Amino acid sequence: MAAERPIRILLAILGMDQHEAGAFAVARLLRDAGMEVIYLGRFGTPETVVDAALEEGADIIGLSCHSWEYRYYLDELFALLKRRNLDVPVVVGGSILSQDDRNEIQRKGVAAGFGPDADPDEIVRRIRTLAKARGAA
Amino acid sequence: MPTKRSCARPRRCLHMSERETQSGIPLKPFYTAADVASTDGDGSAREPRAEPGEYPFTRGRLASPRTRDSWIQQELSGEGTPRRSNEQFRELIDKGARGLDVIGDAPTMSSMDPDHPLARHAVGNTGVSICRLKDFEDLYAGLPLTELTLSHSLPPGAFAIAALHRIALRRGFDPKALRGSTILLPAYCEDCSYRIHMPYDLRMRLALDSIEFAAAEMPRFHAFLEDTYYISDGGLNGVEEMALGFVEIREIVRTLIGRGLDVDSFAPRIAILVNCRMDLFEEVAKIRATRRIFARMMREEFGAKDPRSWSCAITAHTSGLSLTMAQPANNIARGAVQGLALALAGVQAVEISCFDEAYRTPSHDSHMVSLRTQQIVQLEAGAGRVADPLGGSYFVESLTDEMERRILEMVTEIESLGTLKEVSESGWFRNLFQNAMTRRARAIQDGSEVQIGLNAFEIPEEQDRLLRDHSESKLEPCWDRIDEIRRFKNERDGAAVAEHFARIREAGAATSGNLVEPIADALEADLTQGEISGALRLGVGEVYDPLGRAEPPI
Repeated sequence: MAAERPIRILLAILGMDQHEAGAFAVARLLRDAGMEVIYLGRFGTPETVVDAALEEGADIIGLSCHSWEYRYYLDELFALLKRRNLDVPVVVGGSILSQDDRNEIQRKGVAAGFGPDADPDEIVRRIRTLAKARGAA
Repeated sequence: MPTKRSCARPRRCLHMSERETQSGIPLKPFYTAADVASTDGDGSAREPRAEPGEYPFTRGRLASPRTRDSWIQQELSGEGTPRRSNEQFRELIDKGARGLDVIGDAPTMSSMDPDHPLARHAVGNTGVSICRLKDFEDLYAGLPLTELTLSHSLPPGAFAIAALHRIALRRGFDPKALRGSTILLPAYCEDCSYRIHMPYDLRMRLALDSIEFAAAEMPRFHAFLEDTYYISDGGLNGVEEMALGFVEIREIVRTLIGRGLDVDSFAPRIAILVNCRMDLFEEVAKIRATRRIFARMMREEFGAKDPRSWSCAITAHTSGLSLTMAQPANNIARGAVQGLALALAGVQAVEISCFDEAYRTPSHDSHMVSLRTQQIVQLEAGAGRVADPLGGSYFVESLTDEMERRILEMVTEIESLGTLKEVSESGWFRNLFQNAMTRRARAIQDGSEVQIGLNAFEIPEEQDRLLRDHSESKLEPCWDRIDEIRRFKNERDGAAVAEHFARIREAGAATSGNLVEPIADALEADLTQGEISGALRLGVGEVYDPLGRAEPPI
């Protein structure tokens, strides 16, 4: 059995959304949990995210959002992932995601959504479960 | 091991925050005369306790507040197109607002035009979309501009100042009659919230030129509004907030004096826009300490002689970070407590963040609730009838002294690290902001900062419906506006655009000369803020579009 490798998660913020508080907090949380976090920073697009996910061999794509731009970029992101034959789960977290928003994006194909009240342990657990299905630990 | 976020027994959480203020100042069970020192933090003898309206203005800027006018009531607003925001302004004025404060959408706040490729889903849904002189005209169409306070949370302020100046001339009144403000934050704006992608020297020059221009052309206008709200609402505490604010104010004052300006020519128009969090007494103490620090600094260190230069105008916005998505109706109660804190501290203008702030830019209804909250605090509770009602309280006086001591200590620490430019470019501030964000996230997780409904007294989300549907209603981006701006750019006078683009580029490259006048001329020639910003970047040797997606007009 192959040695377990750490989970690699790509963290990005799309468009003109520029609030980074959530992304920093989650990056710290996931690093503390032993994951490798590749923080792509602000001003991302579906193209730059998919390119980086391919290049970095990411197990998970994480989007942080503090504006509603994610609502429009998600469709483009999923279309692009399909076109590039990249089967990486997408998780979305953000200060503005309500339960209704999380239900809506999960219908679109998002693997997990986390609102501002998300339990940190639960975030780590969900991401681990998603990554394990891809052979990471 | 991570502490469990949720508190089944909230008493445990509440206990943790009882021991110290939000800035970490230890609290005693009660305070006595012995806690009110007769000397300052630095050991020097304190001047006899001054009255409100007297140096060093700890107790307030004015001796006698008048109930109806004790503070200007306004609400942050702006959504969609400038025409839509103009309607919003009229609604607010109709409900009793006496000032306006306009905030831009994310592209506007970043000096990017709505037709920038990265802006396409962000136009008009987090503030108003503004990029041309016509937009400012539409924004203020039909409003009595000389009777209102026009605040602009639109950095860099040079654009709003240039536009307002030209609008006054076009409407045929003297720009000297304009009152209002533009926010300034040249040292920090790249490191928190919205970036404008300009190097330090250019950001600082735009700030200094705006102040110098307004001091001569719009002397009643606060071109020098140090916005410590903007830099602190990622999670800085009250001490850090004011320390960073003072570091920036001091640098700007020193540089303006270095340019040969008389300190009394601009100091009376320095104002500070502070954050107001939930720690009621600490926020009161912070504002009292801020007035005292400012007065002493201006008189003793910078040699200001005009008493108006010593008393700083303070305006406040209540913390968006203190509001929660969970149980949004609780945010109304938070706004009332914060509004009371500001009334007790005595400030010149107040904005209460709206109950739907955690979800969206304020709606029509939430705006009204925030304005009504201010009116209730003022006219029913009568909190502004007396200046400095907490003056003489052992606790508040002691906390004021301690806030002053800690703020000054941090100012000294930052200034010992190097010049402001060096410290800013070293990433020290960015690091501070990042650490504050993670520190705050941890405080919510471990319950040391309590937010009712979020980490104490939670209810299941399916039961949390009060004001939910209202808060969750969303604004679509104004995609039509992108087409409108594209058409506008195609149809304008290309020769004039080329001429002014070159002029701005040259003005940016030159080491002297005020930038506001050429910016105003360029706006009149239908250049946009995105283009002018790009031309300035080219002038100082940077790329036109730092995001690598927009093309220059020529």
